[in-house]
Amino acid sequence: MSCQIQISVQEAEFDLGAVNRAISADRTDIGAIVTFSGLVRDFNEKPDVLALTLEHYPGMTEQALAEIAAEAAERWPLQAIHVVHRVGRLTPGDPIVLVAVASAHRQAAFDGCSFIMDFLKTRAPFWKKENTRQGDYWVSARSSDATAAERWQEGEI
Amino acid sequence: MTQQANTPVSDPHPEGFTHINAKGEASMVDVTEKAVTAREAVAEAYVEMQPETLRMIVSGEHKKGDVLAVARIAGIQAAKKTADLIPLCHPLMLTKVKVELTPEPEHNRIRIESLCKLAGQTGVEMEALTAASVAALTLYDMCKAVDKTMVISGTKVLEKKGGKSGNWQMASDSSGAQVVSVSGSQAASPSAVGGGVVKVRFFAGLRETLGCEQLPLSLNAEAVTLADVKALLITSHPDWEDALSAKNLLMSVNQQMAKASALVTVGDEVAFFPPVTGG
Repeated sequence: MSCQIQISVQEAEFDLGAVNRAISADRTDIGAIVTFSGLVRDFNEKPDVLALTLEHYPGMTEQALAEIAAEAAERWPLQAIHVVHRVGRLTPGDPIVLVAVASAHRQAAFDGCSFIMDFLKTRAPFWKKENTRQGDYWVSARSSDATAAERWQEGEI
Repeated sequence: MTQQANTPVSDPHPEGFTHINAKGEASMVDVTEKAVTAREAVAEAYVEMQPETLRMIVSGEHKKGDVLAVARIAGIQAAKKTADLIPLCHPLMLTKVKVELTPEPEHNRIRIESLCKLAGQTGVEMEALTAASVAALTLYDMCKAVDKTMVISGTKVLEKKGGKSGNWQMASDSSGAQVVSVSGSQAASPSAVGGGVVKVRFFAGLRETLGCEQLPLSLNAEAVTLADVKALLITSHPDWEDALSAKNLLMSVNQQMAKASALVTVGDEVAFFPPVTGG
């Protein structure tokens, strides 16, 4: 069974419902779609985040996301994976990332979605710059993200 | 493995076969004294088939599963086995094998392209050819139940880099072995293919700290490691040392994450950046 993989890095806002409908259009073999959407918070390392600017490495980013999705499709019986990540300037409350994973059964979809997010956080070349009342600064990587990705190493699941 | 050998045996075909000795017997070329250089070879092959067969493969309806994914892995595995299959071929420590399968519905065929890389004393075109051939055979094997008329064709080396014979590329419109560019690697000069330069890019906080988005970096050798690239950058920009020495700095070669020991060849795109913070 082949898994339909779709990756998009875009400035425009995405429509969660539209992505869900696109995944299940013209097929009835899907039993579960797990979607994760990430939003811009108004607090992070510093309070009062006014805006966020996302930089990426065009070309490598799409390729890295496609590889992560392909890896998930190899580990679980998935039917479709859609990853949408926004770049450019975003403000608190804005949706920033969407990962939708379809499978015949829920557990594979939950695990696949979680796996993709964990590796997106540690392997896909995006960088956030926060714009706060105290000034602008580049967000530093969290060690908890690295730990989350490590739990998928062989033998842990 | 087509380079002239530095064997003590006198060669009856000074411009001819390297795998035959003075007595006309088959022999493996002695490459002990040959310099280690970065080698790369690209090969291709085609599998022509019925439009319906191609449609089934592309739409993933095939009974045997994901045909393209299996063929791709088969090609990679095969590259590693080349020395076991071809009698006088040296076993090599490949550093990179890539096999890509591209459906071409307008020609009712699938194009297979393979790339093999290593730092070594002998070329990798046999590995690239083996990868493309076995990927093609695997496609045939997986689809033979629905289409026995498939034709495997056009298996050839497209490009070869590194070693004594330098860089070589098949002319794009050629029907045969027309050499369009040959440059001796020993005489690697900025005028050689690829310009003797790698493109270096910086992202995010590092780009701001260095005040530089990208720059061309001249290599003094045809291939170096990523660690060498970093050292060259620090030599030319001593004030970048702190930023480039950061322990958590990430690096990529041709848009793939890479370690300091990764090989960089002329024409590659290298990037340095801080840990990623997307999501």
